[in-house]
Amino acid sequence: MNRRALGGLALCIVVVLGLAGVWKLQQKIDSEKRAMHLDWDDLALRSGNLVKGLSLEYAPLMGAIYWTRAVQYFGEKHQLHDRNVELLWPLLDIATTLDPHLLVAYRFGAIFLGDAPPRGAGQPDLAVRLLERGLKENPEYWRFYQDLGNVYYFDKKEYAKASDAFRKGSSYPGAPIWMKVMAAKIAEEGESLETSYFLWKQVFDTATDPQIKKNADTHLKLLSAQLAMREIDQLAADYETRTGRHASHLGQLVQAGLLQGIPLDPEGYPYVLGKDGKAELSGESPLMEQQQVLQKKLQP
Amino acid sequence: MKNVLTVAANTFREAVRDRVLYNLVVFALLMIAAAIFVGQISIGIEQSIIVSLGLTAISVIGLFIAVFIGVGLVSKEMDKRTLYALLAKPLERWQFLLGKFFGLVLTLAVNTAAMGIGLFLALWVVKHPLEKVDLYVFVAVYLILLKLALIVALALLFSCFTTQFLAILFTAMLYVAGVFAAGLRTMQGVNLPSSTTAMLHGISYVLPNFENFNVMAAVAHGAGVPGSMVLYATAYAVVYGAVVLATAAMVFSRRDLK
Repeated sequence: MNRRALGGLALCIVVVLGLAGVWKLQQKIDSEKRAMHLDWDDLALRSGNLVKGLSLEYAPLMGAIYWTRAVQYFGEKHQLHDRNVELLWPLLDIATTLDPHLLVAYRFGAIFLGDAPPRGAGQPDLAVRLLERGLKENPEYWRFYQDLGNVYYFDKKEYAKASDAFRKGSSYPGAPIWMKVMAAKIAEEGESLETSYFLWKQVFDTATDPQIKKNADTHLKLLSAQLAMREIDQLAADYETRTGRHASHLGQLVQAGLLQGIPLDPEGYPYVLGKDGKAELSGESPLMEQQQVLQKKLQP
Repeated sequence: MKNVLTVAANTFREAVRDRVLYNLVVFALLMIAAAIFVGQISIGIEQSIIVSLGLTAISVIGLFIAVFIGVGLVSKEMDKRTLYALLAKPLERWQFLLGKFFGLVLTLAVNTAAMGIGLFLALWVVKHPLEKVDLYVFVAVYLILLKLALIVALALLFSCFTTQFLAILFTAMLYVAGVFAAGLRTMQGVNLPSSTTAMLHGISYVLPNFENFNVMAAVAHGAGVPGSMVLYATAYAVVYGAVVLATAAMVFSRRDLK
């Protein structure tokens, strides 16, 4: 082997070993940074207007960059189970100031802000503020009313305002008829499983982002399970009326002819009866983990 | 080693002769202005502003020196044909390259140290008495110097095989990519195919992660920086820099200089 080839081989070894060392060191540095519990992603400029001025004619591009930064920031916090998302609002604020027509930043930003922890920042007031700004800048975009209605309904539990948002949105040309129905239904009943199911179905059907779709799908499965459990509870009450005793397992309802068979939840796991005679999800069901979050959100 | 030191000393002397250190005047004026006006335009964040502004200025000024002078280290010698006279002496090409690297790093070290002291003085003006934690400003300055050394190594590597303009462009692009390297690993909110995510994850480790040297937020808010963090960042700069310089030396030694 000549000197030139030896040199090349030595360089390859140095590069490979060096990059392996870099890899290891990077992991050490990452863990050190996490241990410091500091928001490393500090935002030097928090004024959207100042950033807009500094961006010259490239404000829309900067808006897109800030929106991407907001997504990354939120994703990182979510991944680390870190609930301190202090910079989410400033990032969204700057992104939408730089580009007031960045519809996606308003819509997804409102979901990130409004959703209760651990899924979101639990800041529905800021979600409302963001959407109201979106409506001011894009008054023809009726979907913001749908989002606003969802935030008022699911996150803020302010049903009169939710109904009002759906009603206003329904008056737009091209807005679907169900918005008018929802406005009336929420005004009349407030919160109900059926309404929640319908609203999440709309989110599921119209969402293009797979993550939002998946989130809606989880909600739909849980709501579907809750609707089923409500029916089972009704049947258990009928059983008690007929026999004068609590049903201790669903097999008794089947034997009594009230059920055709043991019903399954949307994930394919059988429902069970709890000690209080109420229907519950099976402990093995993957939905069990999600149920706690949903119950927290459904309860005022 | 003696050859390397001789080239390094000459590179430093040349930089001083080229009035590179004049930037210190700009920095001093900036710090004086900030120290005077910051108290009038903000409430309660004087320290944060002074430290952020000072460290940003140190980083940006250093960045310009590292990129523009780093790229010219080799090409300037070639353009002026002084390189041929140098290499005719008992001086290996890798020694020349390493000497150039250390010479510019020494220039940057003097420069950043002077600016660091200036920043500390400005901090003392707006906030006295100073606390022990304020000394971490020098840790931040040290980490900036490590970052600049890595940028010099990259600039040298690119200047070994391409034109000055392209070398500046490549170094600047790699710097920007390196600042966002950590972001590539945490693109959780963005839905990408798993193969793309895995690829980005790998790239994020190969790119020089310049965020490793960024403790500006911590220092500006009066928080400390653990010694282990400084140690790992130093090791990172040394290992990554060695890989880049070894590659640069190899490329330069094979380059046809006729």
